[in-house]
Order: sequence, then structure tokens, then C-alpha cells
Amino acid sequence: MSGAAVEAQGLVKTYKGRGGEVEAVKGVDLRIEPGEIFGFLGPNGAGKSTTVRMLTTLLTITRGSATVAGVDVARDPDQARRRMGVALQEAGLDPRQTGRELLVLQARLFGMGGGEAAERAGELLRLVELEDAADRLIKGYSGGMKRRLDLASALVHRPEVLFLDEPTTGLDPASRITVWEEVRRINELGTTVFLTTQYLEEADQLCGRLAIIDGGLIVREGTPESLKAELRERTGLSHDPTLDDVFLDATGRTRAKAEGAVSEVVA
Amino acid sequence: MNQTWVLGQRALREAWRTPEAILPTLFIPLFFLVVNVGQAARIFPSASTDFLNGQSYGAFQLPASLLLAASFGTAALYLVEDIEGGYFDKLRAAPVSRAALVLGRLFAEFVKGVVIAVAIIALGMVFGIEIASGPLGFVLLVLLTALWAVVFVGLLQLIALKTRNAAATNSGSLIFFPLMFLTPNFVPRELLTRPMEIAATFNPVTYLMESQRSLILDDLDWGTIWPGFAVVLVVGAIMLAANVRLINHYD
Ligand SMILES: Nc1ncnc2c1ncn2[C@@H]1O[C@H](COP(=O)(O)OP(=O)(O)O)[C@@H](O)[C@H]1O
Ligand SMILES: [Mg+2]
Repeated sequence: MSGAAVEAQGLVKTYKGRGGEVEAVKGVDLRIEPGEIFGFLGPNGAGKSTTVRMLTTLLTITRGSATVAGVDVARDPDQARRRMGVALQEAGLDPRQTGRELLVLQARLFGMGGGEAAERAGELLRLVELEDAADRLIKGYSGGMKRRLDLASALVHRPEVLFLDEPTTGLDPASRITVWEEVRRINELGTTVFLTTQYLEEADQLCGRLAIIDGGLIVREGTPESLKAELRERTGLSHDPTLDDVFLDATGRTRAKAEGAVSEVVA
Repeated sequence: MNQTWVLGQRALREAWRTPEAILPTLFIPLFFLVVNVGQAARIFPSASTDFLNGQSYGAFQLPASLLLAASFGTAALYLVEDIEGGYFDKLRAAPVSRAALVLGRLFAEFVKGVVIAVAIIALGMVFGIEIASGPLGFVLLVLLTALWAVVFVGLLQLIALKTRNAAATNSGSLIFFPLMFLTPNFVPRELLTRPMEIAATFNPVTYLMESQRSLILDDLDWGTIWPGFAVVLVVGAIMLAANVRLINHYD
């Protein structure tokens, strides 16, 4: 066993579509230690979701291998599923259930009995502060409430590793900060967090370490500080670079070009 | 098994919360029953029409109504919604047997099929239709209808899983037209014109309809009853195998 929370070697994904093959992820290596909040940063279409979906058993791996909590995701998907939680880019919720029903169902799918599942749902509703809305249909939830419920549903089975694919995209600044707080709290309770984002500030705020992915390849990896320091040294910048500068340098975009392609957020 | 049950309960809850989707499956078949009987009953008076076995033309038409009720396949559209909305991925991320993900919905469809079949037959009985094959025949009639509902939804689920697209799944449900109408639905097979008779003979639904009709009009006549069940079981087995295969290779 590697001891890593997430480990990927030479991960490749080729989509076969009508217009031929698309190599969305071109050989990604990752190693994330238990307890980290790891950021996976990249512009739209970089391959973030594809990587997450492979790591979470939702997509077959074309080449390479990956383990989560020491379990090979391709060889033993059910065992891997028990050890990880997933909240995908589109908060995948059923509008016709109530928040509580959705959590109870999820808990039961992870093998809990009725009583235990109900108790766990109650705990999680408290954790993400949705107790008041718990018995209303999800249809009526706001975007931020859906995100928080999605987060809770990823936690029903107390996973060792939590995958969050763009957890704050499309949220208003206040909801974004609430989600950040939840993520920190979950991490403090011992869960390793792997989160993708296209927001530089989010990575800077939350992540101890991050990788920048562009065009299906990892182009930078390190702590936010080390990445900034490296850029400063290499280019001899006079001012302190921001993570913006690192990102733009790594993805080879000029600031002007990036304006349209990369959204930034000031919370 | 337990997971299939949990997922089935959720599918039933979903059906319960969308009565606007269930009610047409009850009312449209009843509407056709009333209209068809209204149009043709005078051609086939029960006293002088041998194939009615002394019952009204409504009794002869009831199977077409039951089969129509069982051929809406709304549940497949819910599956597409789950897929498009991302909830299906959440379910897939759970350590649930892949088969349970499709079997749960089919189980719910069976329950719905039973409820709707009982409701339609009971209404028919209120208006004088008798189930000549007795209580056992009644149960078999309900069972056959509900099983067909499962098979039909299962076939549409294949399209849903393959295309993940609501429009395609909706179009797929149009196969119910040839299945329902290339049948002896107004008169027995012997009375059809030759081309229609050939078409009906190749249509598996014909055997279901004849089996149901026999349960309504005759004593337990196993020779006519078993082909209906055989059709449901054979098509059902193919449908199940294809569903499990598709879900196991879902990417
Ligand atoms: N199902 C799919 N079929 C074909 N191409 C896809 C599919 N999903 C994603 N892609 C392509 O793969 C690339 C990476 O997509 P994705 O992983 O979603 O990027 P990100 O999450 O970083 O925005 C993009 O070019 C995208 O168009
Ligand atoms: Mg994405």
C-alpha cells in the first residue's frame, strides 16, 4: 500500500465520439497525502472533470492506474466507492425528493439500516445547516442550498477522501464562502479533500497544495507559495506575483486573452 | 436485493409525487375503451357474436386498454432526467450493484402496473365485464399486464441509457403504435384481412392480447394463456440481459 490518499499514474482518457477521438486527459500523475486539501486548477475544458470522474469510478480509465485510500479504482470499484465521497460539477440531486429523503436514501445505498440512515441524515443536515429546509422538496432549494446538500450527500458514509468538482461555480459570493467554510470544517475532521476549481482565489484560500492542468496535462504543481516563488525567480519579476500570474504563465495565456476564457472571482 | 428495494421505493415516491404523469396512463386507456366500444359495439351484439362468449364488446376491448395503459413508459423519461441532472452519477458513485440501478425502477414499474391494471379491470367490472376465468384468472390478468409494463419500460430504458436523451427516448416510445395496432384489437385474428393477419402473427403483443382476452372471455384455457406469458418472459429476459449489459458498460 502506498499510504497516499490519492495516487494516479499516467492517467489517460480518450473519448470516442462522432467526430473521432478526443484525448481529454493525456497522462496525469498525482500523489495526495492524507489530510490535504488539494486543488486541481485549470481553465474550462482542461480535463478536470474527466480526471475526477476517472478517480471516482464513474468513467473507465483508458490508460494508467489510480488508487484512492489505497484501493485500485478500476480493480475494486465498490471498495473504492466506500472510501470516497463525490460531489460533481452539476449538483446531482433529485428534485422530487426532500433533502432528508435524499440523504437517507444515499445512506441506505451505503449499507446503513433505516434507523442509522435517518440519524446520519439528521447529523449531516445540521452540519450543512439545512435543518429548516430538510423536509421540503429539493426542487425549491437555492443554488447554494443544493451545493450544501450535495456536499452532505457525499459525506453520508464518512469517506476518507472527498472529491469536489467545482464546488462553488455559479454560486454567489456569500454562498461561496459558506461552502469554503464547510470544506475547511470537513477537512479538519480528518477528510482529505480533492477539489477542482477554475477560481484562482479559491485555490489560494483553501488549498495547501495544487496542480494546474491545461490541455489534459499537469503544467505546474506545488504549494501556492512555492509556485509564486518559482515564477518570481524564473522571470525576475520585481513585484510579488499572484496566483493569477502563475496560472497565466503556466497556461500560456496573456492577460487579455484570459479575460474571456478564465473567470475570476473576488469574494 | 435490498438496494433494488430502496431504489424501487424512491421510484415509487417519484411516481406518487407526479400524479400528472400517472393519471393519463389511467384515463387515456379508459377513454379509448369507451370510444372503441361506442363505435363498434352495435356491429358486435353479444347475443349474435360468437367470439364474445356472451359478454359485451367492452369485455373484448378491455385487453387493448390494459396493454395501452402498460405501454406509456414514463419511467424511462425519469431515468433520462436522472442522467441529465447528474443524480444518476450520484447513485453510480455508491457501492451499489450496477444491476440494482436499473432493477429498482423496473420493480417500481411492476407495482405501478399492478395498481393501474387493478383499477382498470375493477372499473370494467363495475360496468358489467366479467372475468370468466375466475379469481385466478383475475390475478393472471393483472400479472400479465404489469409484467408487460415492466418489459416495455425496460426496452425504453435501453434507449435512455444508450442515448441519455429525452427526445430520443420519447421517440422510442412510439414503437407502441405498431405494437398496439398491428394486433387483432377490434376482431379476432381469423377475421383480419390477410396482410393484417400476417402482421399480427409476427407481433408478439398479439399473443399477450389473446392471452388476456382468453382470461376475460373463457374458462382457464391454458393453451391460449401460456403464449402471452411466454412472450413476456422471453422478451423480458432479453430486455433484462441488455439492461444489465448496458449499465455494466456505462461510461
Ligand atoms: N463525454 C465526452 N465526450 C467527448 N468529449 C468530452 C466529453 N466530456 C468532456 N469532453 C472533452 O474533454 C475535454 C475535457 O473536459 P472536462 O474534463 O469536462 O474539462 P473541465 O472539467 O476541466 O472543464 C474537453 O475538451 C471536453 O470537450
Ligand atoms: Mg469540469
